[in-house]
Amino acid sequence: MRNVFTIAGKELRGFFASPMGWTVMGLFALLFGYFFLAHLDYFVGQSMQAQQGGGPINVNQFMIRPLLQNVALINLFLLPMITMRAYAEEKRSGTIELLLTSPVTDVQIILGKFLGVLGFYAALLGVTMLYIGILFWFGNPEWKPVLTGYFGLLLMGGCFLSVGLFISSTTKNQVVAGAATFVIFLLLWIISWLGQSAGPAVASLLDYLSIVWHFDDFGKGVIDTKHVIYYLSFITFGLFLTLKSVDTERWRG
Amino acid sequence: MIEVQHLTKRYGPVTAVDDVSFRAEKGEILGLLGPNGAGKTTTMRVLTGYMPATEGTATVAGYDVFANPIEAKRRVGYLPETPPLYPDMTVREYLTFVAKLKLPASVSKSERISRINGVMTKTNITDMANRHCAKLSKGYKQRVGLAQALIHDPEVLILDEPTAGLDPKQIIEVRDLIRALAGNHTVVLSTHILPEVSQTCQRVVIINRGRVVAVDTPDNLTNQLKGSATLYVQVDAAGADAAAALSTITGVRQVSEHDRHEQLVGFEVASDTERDIRRDVARMVVDKGWGLIELRPLRLSLEDIFLQLTTDENQLAAGSKDPASPFDGAQGDAAEAASESEATPNA
Repeated sequence: MRNVFTIAGKELRGFFASPMGWTVMGLFALLFGYFFLAHLDYFVGQSMQAQQGGGPINVNQFMIRPLLQNVALINLFLLPMITMRAYAEEKRSGTIELLLTSPVTDVQIILGKFLGVLGFYAALLGVTMLYIGILFWFGNPEWKPVLTGYFGLLLMGGCFLSVGLFISSTTKNQVVAGAATFVIFLLLWIISWLGQSAGPAVASLLDYLSIVWHFDDFGKGVIDTKHVIYYLSFITFGLFLTLKSVDTERWRG
Repeated sequence: MIEVQHLTKRYGPVTAVDDVSFRAEKGEILGLLGPNGAGKTTTMRVLTGYMPATEGTATVAGYDVFANPIEAKRRVGYLPETPPLYPDMTVREYLTFVAKLKLPASVSKSERISRINGVMTKTNITDMANRHCAKLSKGYKQRVGLAQALIHDPEVLILDEPTAGLDPKQIIEVRDLIRALAGNHTVVLSTHILPEVSQTCQRVVIINRGRVVAVDTPDNLTNQLKGSATLYVQVDAAGADAAAALSTITGVRQVSEHDRHEQLVGFEVASDTERDIRRDVARMVVDKGWGLIELRPLRLSLEDIFLQLTTDENQLAAGSKDPASPFDGAQGDAAEAASESEATPNA
C-alpha cells in the first residue's frame, strides 16, 4: 500500500509541478464558472416568475443539480488531458523502466497512478466547491444532495479516468492518447442517443451503458447501489484492461 | 550471483537473444560486449525483470527473476541506456521518490535521508541536489541515474552503456566509480566500446546477433587469438633504410612502413610471440645514431578479436591493426593512452 501512495504522490506532484496541471485546473474553473453564471442567471429569472405565482423554487433542484450534471460535459473535454500523459509520457521518456524494475507490482503501479489522477480530479472538484459555497452564502440549499452529487461526480470521473489510463498505456504518444480518450469518452456519453430511435428494451440497455445516465440519481440526492456498483465495476474493468495492456507491453518489449 | 541459462527472447518473428548462458560471480565486473542491436539491452532487461524471457531462466542473487520478481528486483540496481529521470523533479525529490519505492518499509525516514545523501556524495552530485533533472547536463543525468541504481545498496548492478555520451573526463570518472563499486556489488555493464571492457571488466561476454560468441577475461581473449606480437616503431632515420636494418633483428618476421612525416618514419614490426624484441630494436636505433621517437607494442587488441568473432569475413581482422581506432574516435585516444601506459614500465 505504501508503494501505491508513493506513486500516487508522485503523479499528483507532477500535476502541480507542471504548467499543464495548472492550465487544466484554470480551464476547469473557467468552464465551471461559466456554467455557474448561466445557471444562476436562469435560476434568478425562474424564481422571480415563481414569486409572482407562488412560493420560492428549490435551489437544489433547479440550480445545483443541472450544474453538477454539466460537470460531466467539462470532464469529457478536460479529463483526457489528465490521463493522456500518465503512461504515454513514462514510456516515451523511459522512466517506465524505473517503475517496472523497482520492487513494486504492476497492480501497485496502476492503483498508484489511478489514485494520483483521481486525486487531481478531486482537487478540480474542490475548486468548484467554492462556487457552490457562494450559494450557501446567499441562499439556503440543502447540503446532503450536494454531497451525494459530488460523490457521484467522483465515481463518474473515476470511470473516465480508468478508461483514460488504459488508453494512455497503449501508446507512447500523448496526443494519440488524448485524442483517442476524448473519442471514447464521447461515445460513452452519446451511446444512449441511439436508444431513442430503437425499441424500449434496447434503449434501456444503452441507457444502462451510458456513464452519464447513472449520474442522474446522485444529483437528486439518491445513492442507489445499482449506480455505485455500475461505476465501481466500470472502474475495475478499466484498471483491469490497463493491467493487461501493461502486461502485454512487457511481453512485446 | 547472476546466472543466465539458455535465455531466449523473441519479438514476434525476430529473435533478439538466442540461447544465451553466462554467469557472474560475486564482486565481479562482467562486460557484455557486442555491436549495436546484438541483444545486450534485451538481455539486461530480462535480468532486471523489465520483461520476461521467451525461454530459459535467469537467477539474480539467488532469486529467479520470473518466479520471484519482487525479491529479485530488491537486489538489483538498474541504469537503463537513458537515465530514467522525471524532468520536473529536483535531484533530491527524484532520489526520495526512488528511495521510497525501492527501500523496504522498515527503513526509517532519517535512514532514508542519510542513504540519499550517501549516494549523492558517492556519485558526486551533491551540488546539484536542488536542480531540476531537466536542467542537468548529460554527465550529471548519467550520475543521477547511477545514484538511483545504487540507492538501495543492491547486490547486483546492471548498467546499460554507462559511459555513452559522456565526455572523456566524465568517462574516466564513471569508470573509476564502477571499479570502486565492484567488490561490494556485482556489476554487469554493456558496451559497444572496446577499450572500456579491457579497462573496467574482469570478464567479457561477447554477444553477436543474440548469441554468445566468447566468454573470457580480456587478457585471455587477447592471448588466445594472438599469433604474433607487433611493435610500432617511429624513428628519425634521416634517409637511411631503416626497414632493412630492422629486418635483420633476430625474431623479426616482417617490417612494414606505416607512416612517414618528412624524416620521421613509422614501422610496424611483427615478431615471434615468445621473443621480446623491444630492447634489440632500441639498441639498434641508438647504435645507428637515429632518433627514437616512439616505441610501443601494438597488441592484438580487443577490437581485432571482436571483429574476428563478430565478422564472418575474416580478412577484416587482418587489416585492422591501425593505431587509430576504427571504432570510436574519442575512445581511440583513451585506448592508445592505456596501451602506452602499460608499455612504459617495460620499455
